[in-house]
Formats: sequence, C-alpha cells, structure tokens
Amino acid sequence: MPPELIRQLRTPFLTMLTLLALLGINVVLGIFFITGDMWIAEVAIAAAMVATVIVVAMEAHKEPPLIRLFAGLGFFWVAILFTLTMIDYATR
Amino acid sequence: MSTAVGIKVEEHFHNAEQQRETAKLGMWVFLLTELLLFSGLFVSALVIRVLHPDSVTAVALHLKFWIGATNTAILIVSSFCMSGAIESSRLGLRRPMIFCMLATAGLGVLFLMLKGYEYDRDYVEHMTPFLSFRRYELVGDPASRLFTDLYFVITGLHAIHLTIGIGIMLVMSWLASRPHFLERHQNRIEITGLYWHFIDLIWMIVFPTLYLLNR
Repeated sequence: MPPELIRQLRTPFLTMLTLLALLGINVVLGIFFITGDMWIAEVAIAAAMVATVIVVAMEAHKEPPLIRLFAGLGFFWVAILFTLTMIDYATR
Repeated sequence: MSTAVGIKVEEHFHNAEQQRETAKLGMWVFLLTELLLFSGLFVSALVIRVLHPDSVTAVALHLKFWIGATNTAILIVSSFCMSGAIESSRLGLRRPMIFCMLATAGLGVLFLMLKGYEYDRDYVEHMTPFLSFRRYELVGDPASRLFTDLYFVITGLHAIHLTIGIGIMLVMSWLASRPHFLERHQNRIEITGLYWHFIDLIWMIVFPTLYLLNR
C-alpha cells in the first residue's frame, strides 16, 4: 500500500476505532444496565456516533457553507418533528 | 501506479469545483429527504414506546440483540472501506479504490445475510404478526403487533437502501475499472461514498431505537 494512502487513511481508521468503541460502550450498557435512566447515556452515545459520521466520515466540516447548511437543516426538521410530536403525547 | 484525477466539466458549469460542489449539494438534499423518511418511522417507534412500554419490551426481548450489534460493527467497518475507496480515488490509485469498493459491497452483503438469518429466526419464533396464516407468539398483546410490524418496516426499508447501495457500489467498481474513469469522474466515487455513509448513519439510529433502548 502506498505510504501516501496510509497517511490519508489515518483519520478514517481513527474514526472507525472511535465508532467501534462507542458501539462497544452502548452494547455493554444495553446488556448490564437495562434499568433506570441509562437510556439517556445510550441516546447520547448514539448521537455522538451519528455526529462523528456526519462531521468526519461524510466530511461535512470540509464542505462549503451551503452544503453544511443543508446537512444541518435535515436534523433541524427532525428536531421539529420529534419535539412537536412528543409535546403532544407528553401533555395528553 | 497512480493515474490522473479530475472531473470532465459539463457545459453548464463554470469549472470543475462548481460541478463538484453542485453534485455534493444535490446528494445532501437527497439524503435530507431520506432522513425525513426514516425519521417518521423513528418517531412512530418512540410514540409506541411511550404508549405501550411493556408491549415494546416484550417484543424487544425477542429481537436478536447480538445480530443488531454485529451488523452495526459490520457497517462501521464498511464505512472505513468506503473512506479508503474515496482516499484512493483522490490519489488516483485505481486498484486499491476498486478493492475497497468491492470490500464495502462484500460487507454490505454480509450485513444482509445476518439480517436474513434474523428474519428467519423471527419466522421460526412466530414473531411475524403480518402473516395471517401463522400464529403470533405475543397474540395476547395486541399493542406488540404495532412495534413488531414497525420493526420489519424499518429494517426492511433499510435493507432495501443497503441493497441499492451494494448495487451502486458494484456498478461503480465496474465503471471505475475502465480506463480514464478517474480522469473524468472522480467525484462520482465521493457521491457514492456519501450515500454509503448515510446508510451506516441510519443503522446507527435503528440499532438503539429498536434493539437497545427497549430492553
């Protein structure tokens, strides 16, 4: 493998290790800590994994502002969807 | 041996950079609509979880947690392979690029095989309430049908997207094996990569939503 490619693959490799580590933590939490408020940690870890994929793997941080805006807009609309729906069910 | 890398500029673009950014923006907009499609299903799962927590837990105990976790790991590794293909394409390394894309597709196939095995177990364990000719294991718990059906809809929709991704990966590998591909269409590898990473991203939400949080 050319040394230049190995150098370029350092970030994707570290990203993969980070994601696998986060998955490992979530699996351990899912097996051994299934009661209480542990779901908050599990959701936070899943959110960290999603953010890692968008920012690092999909290279959103290197994109021009317009593309970053659209990447953010998707999650903005998802946030509206979840917030309005859950406000309804939580206040019935 | 590396080859020249570039983009053949179409007549309606000023330059290669504008064409590259436009293609990426188009893909991001498409992925945005896909995200909203899946989000409707995720919010449905959350509503069912809030309204019928015991029924959802009863279903979740039948799901194959280890297969879900293994499949997540498989997709994470496949994303690394896709990144390898993208980096190789940027350096003009055709052979490593094709190898990485085929590895990505192979891991996608492995994911589908495990998913197929899980569906088979669901069938054997009578966890297929949508099959009217087959007894349903949790027949005394009508609310559980909702979540079980939703499980099949979400994972099935994801499997369809993954199958399309594998198809695109194989076609791109074939196209990229032809001479002068990287000189004219390098950005197509990057666009394909965005779609594959997105499939990975969606599964990272599916796994906790269905398998993890409801145990």
